[in-house]
Amino acid sequence: MRNPASRERREEKAELWKIMSSKIIIIATIILLIVSFSVLFVVEAKNHNYDYKKAWSVVYFENPRDDSLNFAIENHEGKKMAYDYNIFIDGKKVSGNKVEIEKGAEQRIVPVLDLDTSNGVSVSIEVSADDLKYKIYKNLGK
Amino acid sequence: MIFSLIKLVLTFPFIFVLPGFFLLLAVFGWKNEKISFFEKAVLVVPMSLISVDLLVLALNRLHIFLNGMVLIGVIIAFSLLCYIVFQLRFRKKTKKKQEEEISRNYFEFSYWQAIFILISIFLAVFMRTTYLSDTIIPSSTDLGHHMFWVQKIVDTGSLPDYGMPDFIIGEHIVFAVVNLVSGASIMSAMPVLVLLFLNIVGIFTLSILAGRIFQSPKTAAMIFFVSGVLYAINAPQGKYVSGGVVGNIIGNMLIPVALYFLYRAFSEKDSSFAGLFLFSAAGLLYTHHLSAFILLYSIAAVVLAYLALNFERIFKIIGDWLKIFLKPFPIAIFLLLAFYFLFIFTPSYFNPAAVAQATGEPTKITRIGLNLGQLEANAGSARLILGALGFALLFLSFKRKDYKFSFAFAWALVLMIMSWKPGWLYVNIPSDRIGNYLYLPFSLLAAFSLVELMRLFRKSSTIFLSTAFLFVLLFFVITDGLSDSADAFKVRPQFQEVMETFHSAKYLAEKLDTSQDILLKDHVNISGDSWYKLFFMKDYNYPLSRGMLFRYIDSTKPRETCTRDMISNPESPEGQACFSETGVNYIALNVQLEGNSFEKYPDFSKIYSSNYIAVFKRN
Repeated sequence: MRNPASRERREEKAELWKIMSSKIIIIATIILLIVSFSVLFVVEAKNHNYDYKKAWSVVYFENPRDDSLNFAIENHEGKKMAYDYNIFIDGKKVSGNKVEIEKGAEQRIVPVLDLDTSNGVSVSIEVSADDLKYKIYKNLGK
Repeated sequence: MIFSLIKLVLTFPFIFVLPGFFLLLAVFGWKNEKISFFEKAVLVVPMSLISVDLLVLALNRLHIFLNGMVLIGVIIAFSLLCYIVFQLRFRKKTKKKQEEEISRNYFEFSYWQAIFILISIFLAVFMRTTYLSDTIIPSSTDLGHHMFWVQKIVDTGSLPDYGMPDFIIGEHIVFAVVNLVSGASIMSAMPVLVLLFLNIVGIFTLSILAGRIFQSPKTAAMIFFVSGVLYAINAPQGKYVSGGVVGNIIGNMLIPVALYFLYRAFSEKDSSFAGLFLFSAAGLLYTHHLSAFILLYSIAAVVLAYLALNFERIFKIIGDWLKIFLKPFPIAIFLLLAFYFLFIFTPSYFNPAAVAQATGEPTKITRIGLNLGQLEANAGSARLILGALGFALLFLSFKRKDYKFSFAFAWALVLMIMSWKPGWLYVNIPSDRIGNYLYLPFSLLAAFSLVELMRLFRKSSTIFLSTAFLFVLLFFVITDGLSDSADAFKVRPQFQEVMETFHSAKYLAEKLDTSQDILLKDHVNISGDSWYKLFFMKDYNYPLSRGMLFRYIDSTKPRETCTRDMISNPESPEGQACFSETGVNYIALNVQLEGNSFEKYPDFSKIYSSNYIAVFKRN
């Protein structure tokens, strides 16, 4: 036979739990949300970066609005890279070199070319490293 | 990073708890048996959201520059004002008076109910977090469009004039306030975290509505499983959070709140709830037109159903409703809101043309209603079946003359008709957008049916058969309801493409002269491109964008095709004419798709090339 005193205690506990349950649910939800927010915030902050767990490069003209041929190479491959670049005028190679760029860094390059753009000329820059290949070009005077 | 996180985490209670807490304190006092701790804890969030929206609208009307200090000051001032009202109203109230107002508390959960809720909440948050961790870099199209306007508010310190009915101010104020108070960047996890928070609160608001309508803690507890765990990733849950479907997320939280207050106002003949119903409905009107439209139809259905089912007492009922609403508190709220609508800020869609556009015979194939398969996809098979069962069980369990019957029955029925046969109700809105709201009443009914079925099975004389049936049912519900969550655990590419998009946008924003240069980008093949406009902050329509190709075909009206032709056929006569007409001289493309083919056009120079993006300049 059940002890009436222990039954009473159990009922008291159940009543107390009923009063506390909603508070426990709200507090647990707040803790869960803080953990979730922290995880998502940190994941986003880490990944909102050109280099974190990424492998890519980019080549671009420093001044796209004029005839300048200054260009830059950015290394986001996750390691130090050696880039070959070659400059072509109307498909004919006129210059070339090799640059080593640290992880996450960029290298600005100022080509020195004697160009006559009066009849229109196409200047292209081809950059390669390992199996990567990028090409940018300007059609000047056309 | 840690300091930014702490600031953001502390900003949440300041914006989403403090004003609502003091508002409810002013309305209900410190200890009021009419409303339980659980309900108050849930309602502080929507009440805070609406209060902050209204405060910012007033500041803007007074031409006060919006910045962090002003917003902190006005939230504290509002809280103090509410506290003073609380002191004036409740200081002299006797205990006896409060005891008279006792109403039943359906939110005192037993041990096992609380454990069930805690497990459900854990799963709901865990599945959403896992899914979002792969999409957390801001890149979705809708979120990008919304965040442009948020950035505009932050930059100008005032609310924008959209010049189009597509956006509503309540969709943007909250993000601007969080940014200005916490300093958390708009191009960070912040917008998604705000949406995730409101999405989780939406589960709670549905739970308190279920608890009241079905007068059962069990049904309130079951809601956490049905709407939090089942289909946790599908629209309108995790995918809407990551996709930045701001209006729907806030609407899904506020619709149950408005119905909760209306239910309690009607069923308990209480004018405090009537006033708060008007307040929450106005909050919805300032936030999302479609959700407000859905609420309007839902209320009309509930009211008409109740009147029809109690036809013999129709005049007495209307008289009772008038008595509830014609009391000082609801009248004061009504006048305040009318003042807001007329003199402070009128929502951009509040005009006869917009109303005429949304009502009437469906004008497009996408508006003629969903078939059964589409309805299933919108509400979820398990939820739809359980909801239909719940719908049938309503007739067995409830007295048809009760408010609870009208609320549960009419809400589900009207949304079903609006999604399935919108022409019957003169609804002229894309049916799949309405279908997204089906989950609200069907979650309610599904939770009710699960609780009722368990009760019936327990009573059944053939325990073995009923238990077997229950297990089969639960197996189907869980496997179908969790199938979408498998998405959360798939390995997806990391965020390289989006970061390359941002890099190209930053490059162009620095190098171009936006007063002369016109940029066109390819939305079809570039991920995260809608965020381009945040780098320029020139105009909502800058840069131009080639949209999804189906958008260029519209049988009801001619569409511009230049943004398509300048990328698809730049050398065609149409393409050439478009370049002259629009002045486009830069084009950003996916390097692997259109990027390579563009190299053959002699009119263009290629000025930027990465693994993902190529930018061409027209000579």
